[in-house]
Amino acid sequence: MKLDFSGLESSAPLYGGSNDLLFDGFSAAPAFDLPVTSNFDEYQKKSVQMVKPAKGTTTLAFIFKDGVMVAADSRASMGGYISSQSVKKIIEINPYMLGTMAGGAADCQFWHRNLGIKCRLHELANKRRISVTGASKLLANILYSYRGMGLSVGTMIAGWDEKGPGLYYVDSEGGRLKGTKFSVGSGSPYAYGVLDSGYRYDMTVDEAAELARRSIYHATFRDGASGGVASVYHVGPNGWTKLSGDDVGELHYSYYPVEPATVEQEMTEAVVA
Amino acid sequence: MSIFEYNGSALVAMVGKNCFAIASDRRLGVHLQTVATDFQRIFKIHDKLFLGLSGLGSDAQTLHQRLVFRHKLYQLREERDMKPETFASLVSAVLYEKRFGPYFCQPVIAGLGDDDKPFICTMDSIGAKELAKDFVVAGTASESLYGACESMFKPDMDHEELFETVSQALISSIDRDCLSGWGGHVYVVTPTEVTERILKGRMD
Repeated sequence: MKLDFSGLESSAPLYGGSNDLLFDGFSAAPAFDLPVTSNFDEYQKKSVQMVKPAKGTTTLAFIFKDGVMVAADSRASMGGYISSQSVKKIIEINPYMLGTMAGGAADCQFWHRNLGIKCRLHELANKRRISVTGASKLLANILYSYRGMGLSVGTMIAGWDEKGPGLYYVDSEGGRLKGTKFSVGSGSPYAYGVLDSGYRYDMTVDEAAELARRSIYHATFRDGASGGVASVYHVGPNGWTKLSGDDVGELHYSYYPVEPATVEQEMTEAVVA
Repeated sequence: MSIFEYNGSALVAMVGKNCFAIASDRRLGVHLQTVATDFQRIFKIHDKLFLGLSGLGSDAQTLHQRLVFRHKLYQLREERDMKPETFASLVSAVLYEKRFGPYFCQPVIAGLGDDDKPFICTMDSIGAKELAKDFVVAGTASESLYGACESMFKPDMDHEELFETVSQALISSIDRDCLSGWGGHVYVVTPTEVTERILKGRMD
């Protein structure tokens, strides 16, 4: 049983007529065959539970006067077990747009790559780069069509287009929000606390990077499902650059160095009379 | 997540040559949120007997208070400290009393018995004793701890080497567990002295 995606067919005229062979596979959203089951509702319930939308992670992004700052941790957890401390959660969609990963890793990786393909096709078809608004709308529409099927995606699309810096939050429930400051994941309440109290629009790139790094560090301290490496990226008028990737274990001791405690009682050899 | 994973914990006890080490993590959490980074899980019963309690934090504290009470009564009656084997039987009996509404704890008992022979044992939450000659583990990071201890353990280590081994096993295991960590607390006990050390670990 194939789901019907004709409503999402792109109606933009392709340059040079209809080159069906080349573009057919990409213009529509990928169609997946549904499995043959006797009880589809039960199957659907189980598949939703499989990628539990726990979103054990911390990602954040904010707009300031010099562009967009994007930061994330790097821990992947399966329940209580840490399966990896070195997951790339900031996905490079193209040289001027970044996406963050929260939720199911496979879902985020696949759909961001799919979005990258669509953005490139838009560039080729329209001879200009796609806007952040357009890219986020493409992703949101695809995710909406899979609503209720158990996809788990909580992503932020950050980029720089003709209108300047752009930041959108898109999730697998089909929501899409434009904003200047977002944090997604189980560690987001802790990150918001630090981010909200330290944020100013007119920060320099270094100040903004330190704010982002600090927010991720505080989230990894308090949240059990966040940790590893705090990566910070900056999106400017010439595209994105990776600013830093600091291990949060070391960051803790650089922010809060351990002072040797004053010895209260020191044992000495007893003098035998 | 089960009730045993509500607070998160990691405990390990290891035997050396005429000495033992008992170590725990320092985190107290509420599911994924970390609430304290200096939680005490290892308690001294007397100079040669230590009790570690993993699992639910409030049951660990209550059980510790109950057991200290029973031990003090024993001290008054018998005018001596309890042997570790006897204490283990006491803990097992106290846990089984609550068979149908148990304490959600897994104790780790470590002590020096007659002739300063090291004794370690662990139990499940209803008192099934498991004696071991090398090491025992408990807590949310127990599977990682089993692997780490199994590969790092050597028989008859002296107290310096034992401290290094226990610390490495503990730190590497809690670095693979979301619910335990934020430092380590290690006690190394020989017939003449007790050394307490705090380990610097990853705070994430």
